[in-house]
Amino acid sequence: MSWTLHRVDDRLIHGQVVVAWGGRMRPQRIWVVDDASASDPWEREMLSTVAPGIEVQVVTVAEAATRYAAEAAAAGGAFLLVRDLATALALVEAGAAIPSFTLGGLHYVPGREKVNEYIYLDAGDRRAARALIARGVALEVQDVPATRPQPLLALDPATAAP
Amino acid sequence: MRVPALLVMHADLAAALLRAAEKLFGPVEDVAVLSNEGLSRDDLERAITARVASWPNGGLVFTDVWGGSCHQCGASAARGRGEVVVVTGLNLPTLIDYLHNRDQIGVIDLAQRLLQKGQASIRLQRGQPA
Repeated sequence: MSWTLHRVDDRLIHGQVVVAWGGRMRPQRIWVVDDASASDPWEREMLSTVAPGIEVQVVTVAEAATRYAAEAAAAGGAFLLVRDLATALALVEAGAAIPSFTLGGLHYVPGREKVNEYIYLDAGDRRAARALIARGVALEVQDVPATRPQPLLALDPATAAP
Repeated sequence: MRVPALLVMHADLAAALLRAAEKLFGPVEDVAVLSNEGLSRDDLERAITARVASWPNGGLVFTDVWGGSCHQCGASAARGRGEVVVVTGLNLPTLIDYLHNRDQIGVIDLAQRLLQKGQASIRLQRGQPA
């Protein structure tokens, strides 16, 4: 079954991912696709300890794109996490056939506009979102499984019409 | 020398735990509280790092869930600071034990003590069959 969640979240692995999504979907593996974390042995080591009982892999965008299809055929469920929409787009452009991303947390930084309580976007985020949608990747906004997923375009008309 | 502390938790838990502790212990100084609510990972790490930087002799970062953003950002803030320890899963009995011992025990030994005390603080009281 493999990929059961593709999530965009600037906190990467954290409580919502492990407790809410992990508790419901019981993944065997979590891939953190993040060039900065993958190049830092300390970050890799820390991330490997934060989801007890789940195998965590910290990989670069290029490595994830190369291995994505093989992982899709592996036994057990897997989550894929990226920290921003630019990384999501880079992964798709590098060849990973990802059908959809769940936008679970892009928090406020200066220059970003509020979409809802946990999603804030700037012009660059919206450009990446449009490029993903143009490639047929669905973008849905949902923080935890108990809430209803909503299409990004319904919540943020500015993504559709710059 | 007193071991300072920062409580970093989800929603209002840190402030609520400290308020509950003050009900049992009395007024508390040198304990800061922080919520991760609405903060990006970078902002949360910056906020913790700023507090930890004000501790020349180290201190304790208490968080709620192992693996949560509070724990991970605490771990990042403690990078290169061997005298800063992140203690996850804080509950009220453990916080009270910290308050009673923070002026007598050094930071590393205190963290080890709280690990034991915290684990022992979860106990069962079974109902009496009718």
